[in-house]
Amino acid sequence: MGSRIRENVKHFFECFCEVVPPTPEKEAWIIQQYPDTYNDPEVLKSVPKFAYPYKFENTVIQHYSFVLTNIESKWTFGFCRHDPKSETALVVLTYLPWHQAFYKFLDNIAVLTQSPRSEDLGEFLKDVYNKALPPPGKLFEVTFNMGESRFAIERPKQFQLPSIPENRNLTEYYNAVDASNMMLIFASMLYERRIIFTSKKLTRLSACVQSANDIIYPMLWQHIFIPVLPMALIDCLLAPMPFLIGVPDEVLKKVHRHDIGDVVILDADANTVETPFDDLNNLPQDVINSLKKQLKNRSALLGDGVSRAFLRALVQLIGGYREALHFQPGEKVTFDKDKFIDSRPVTSQPFLKQMLHLQIFQQFIEERLEMLNLGLGFSDEFEIEACRYSEKTSSRLKQQYREWTSTMKKEGTAFFKSVKEKANPAMKSAVKTVKDGGKGVKSAYKGLRSKLKENPNSQQLQNGLDSPSDKPRSAPNSPTGKRRSLGFSVPTATYRKDSLNFKSSNSERPYSPLTPISQPLSPDALDRSRSNTPGIDIPRIDLMTEMQDLLQLRLETPPVDRSLKPVRSLENFKHTSPLSSPEHWAFPSRSGAPLTVPATKLFLPKSQDTQNLLQSPDDVFSSPPVPPPRASSTENEFFGSASFVVGGGRSENGDPVFLVANRHTVDVVKLSPPTISPRRKKDSMAEDLIRLDSTSDIDDFDPLKSDDSKNSFLQNSLEFSATDGHVPLCLSNPLYNYHEPQGVQQNGNGITKDTKNDHDLLQEYGLDFNHFSRSFISGRSANFDPFQPTNATKVSSQSQWTKFE
Amino acid sequence: MARDYDHLFKLLIIGDSGVGKSSLLLRFADNTFSGSYITTIGVDFKIRTVSIDGQRIKLQIWDTAGQERFRTITSTYYRGTHGVIVVYDVTNGDSFANVKRWLHEIEQNCDVVNRILVGNKNDCPDRKVVLTEDAKRFADTMGIQLFETSAKDNINVEEMFISVTRLVLRAKLEMKERQNVTQNDVVNLRKSNKQGKKKCC
Repeated sequence: MGSRIRENVKHFFECFCEVVPPTPEKEAWIIQQYPDTYNDPEVLKSVPKFAYPYKFENTVIQHYSFVLTNIESKWTFGFCRHDPKSETALVVLTYLPWHQAFYKFLDNIAVLTQSPRSEDLGEFLKDVYNKALPPPGKLFEVTFNMGESRFAIERPKQFQLPSIPENRNLTEYYNAVDASNMMLIFASMLYERRIIFTSKKLTRLSACVQSANDIIYPMLWQHIFIPVLPMALIDCLLAPMPFLIGVPDEVLKKVHRHDIGDVVILDADANTVETPFDDLNNLPQDVINSLKKQLKNRSALLGDGVSRAFLRALVQLIGGYREALHFQPGEKVTFDKDKFIDSRPVTSQPFLKQMLHLQIFQQFIEERLEMLNLGLGFSDEFEIEACRYSEKTSSRLKQQYREWTSTMKKEGTAFFKSVKEKANPAMKSAVKTVKDGGKGVKSAYKGLRSKLKENPNSQQLQNGLDSPSDKPRSAPNSPTGKRRSLGFSVPTATYRKDSLNFKSSNSERPYSPLTPISQPLSPDALDRSRSNTPGIDIPRIDLMTEMQDLLQLRLETPPVDRSLKPVRSLENFKHTSPLSSPEHWAFPSRSGAPLTVPATKLFLPKSQDTQNLLQSPDDVFSSPPVPPPRASSTENEFFGSASFVVGGGRSENGDPVFLVANRHTVDVVKLSPPTISPRRKKDSMAEDLIRLDSTSDIDDFDPLKSDDSKNSFLQNSLEFSATDGHVPLCLSNPLYNYHEPQGVQQNGNGITKDTKNDHDLLQEYGLDFNHFSRSFISGRSANFDPFQPTNATKVSSQSQWTKFE
Repeated sequence: MARDYDHLFKLLIIGDSGVGKSSLLLRFADNTFSGSYITTIGVDFKIRTVSIDGQRIKLQIWDTAGQERFRTITSTYYRGTHGVIVVYDVTNGDSFANVKRWLHEIEQNCDVVNRILVGNKNDCPDRKVVLTEDAKRFADTMGIQLFETSAKDNINVEEMFISVTRLVLRAKLEMKERQNVTQNDVVNLRKSNKQGKKKCC
């Protein structure tokens, strides 16, 4: 697939490095790393270059990200933290694009480098490294500081559009670059230009580049992608192919503009775009107009308003791909280019013809086709918007959809069969044999059973646990799904600068070693460096620095239309601290948005249960259901017949058929519309709580929207804890969905005879794959969810806080 | 400004990873110590200046990672390049299949890109699966030159690079000529077979 995000990621991070800055005599170098076993020489060689892309003066704490691309074109993300008070830069390499989470992680590490117990950092890194990743939307938490402190982040949900202010990248991009320039860049990306972003600030630079890519979702930049270009790699700007490169101002100064050729340059500090092309005006006019209109609607831009505006533009442009899909029973689904063009409005056709020649579009189509042909379902935000759009705009399209749906129904079985062929041989033979009936049934069953006994190794299921949110083409991540659930605690406290004077004194330790064993220096040196450290260290909070940072941020923000700014409000703040230690360490806590006012300083009492803080009330109330094990691809094949989804549309009664993805109510074979159970109706009200923008725009109001959301609730849920059948509210996005949990099947009247036959027949012979999967999982499930939510936990956690102003 | 070359050509080298693109570039490049970035930022290039008919030509040859993931490489990728070196591995049939698809795409959608077909790893007859005749037949239908090379044994590599450089140089000079002379007076045999094609590069 076209995804450049890796699947089946095992660890939260791959490698942590501490990097010493370059000196006139020596290049930057890695002074220590964890784990020692990470050994990719090429990557380790380049990390220092990216940690110090040029010689820069640092006056504030800077977070930024860089991206490495391997030979298969997969991305490794590097998150970097520069602290003016520290002699070194902290870098963490990971396959996960969870920006906010990793900045928080780095902050936590920064605190631990100052810890009086030298083992703390090493132990913390080890625990985080070895901790299995939770399902999407769930907490990833590790206790440290001898169990007294807790590091917790929420695993980003899939297909979530980046929101302001939770998504730091988008917030930064939006604050730095005004709407019309964002549109210019958007258009340039749709022409696959050679695009340079530049800024004096690495934070802004990398955030803007990342966000620009996020905004073309559901497509993904397929070309050269370097959010921060180190001076050493300056020649890459000569590349004749399309690229999206963030070039620090200092680096760009060294380039002769003439050598670069035709290139689009966004200066994120000045908020200007230089382009020799007229790409924006070459987009279909109606698309531009509605995009402009939406980006002007200030009140609707908070939350995912900006992302959604661009998503809708893309829906207008390419959403029609679904009408150009060609289904032929027994054959692979294909994409008919001519049909795609012909089905679009005449005004859009010239642009769309050109769009066929975009790599980003080709890969998008390829990927959707591949998912269809594998029998994997998809119904992401893009498909929902596309469906909504076609519903709204054209009854003709609606009619087409109906036809398509009914055709699909007719052809469903045949199509399903072809999918089944690809499924696990055991499954295939089971279905076939059992269906054929007759004499051989019993023996087939026996044979199958023995197969199952050998086959259903826990490995498959393990993969299933790990993989889901690493599926390719997940939407740009926004780990802080709920604004209350996460915050950034940036320790801007004034650190002791004991023995940090690295350049002047070689005998003293400029960094804190990961473990006594791993450190290259003698323990004596360590002792010396720690000797003047009191056992309990209470960093002073430097309010002034924090305020200065803030002011600086504001001053440096270019003259963007202020009215477009996201509303700042106190509800955006989250009062959490990464630490709650007996020593009452206090850290100023900040929300994810760089522009927000620092929140109240808090001391968390020892007994404070941060879990409550990190969980929104929604989470607390809604105990998750018994979702079946989430499928990895292997597992999916194994239970292949239970679920798969094709495309989207609406059936005669208006039910969103593409949301067949709902395992609970829909017969996956027949693609019949989902039915809404009363319970899910109730939940939809809560859904509105999350969708902040849902009522701000009248155009947005769509009674079907909530239905869509409802349908998506359980999808991709990976929680194994609950057996109470409650629906988790935390999953608001529709996702890949492979299973129908047996427990909920009865709720779905949508099950049609044909599948029933399959299932019933299998069950008659004692085969129930859903059941199988569930029982298999349930053993491990009991202690899987670290916090079984109960109503009792919904204590007003804030009442326990002590506030310090 | 005094330049140390008369022409600067930017070429692309495309092909699956593993067909030996990097090795070919290493054989060819001036400076083999410059290191490779393809495994860290997904893009790499090598430079060399050659002399053809008394003209100094600076070649930049660019490579990007993970091209095999593209069923087709679309025309935007070739925009801005003067020529393409299309490489397959004579011991790997799949790599040849990819190359065929990509060349068809260029043929259909890119007007001015000069191409050359290269079957690399041509050093072990036992393992060869893409027969010279098949490749030659295909190259002929596409109207392009075929070179079978071995970067390992340094066979045919130099010839191949010089040949593609000549191709690009000739195309450039022809274009200049066409601009100078009124088009009606010139019968351009090379370009005549491309009339009616969409121009998008």
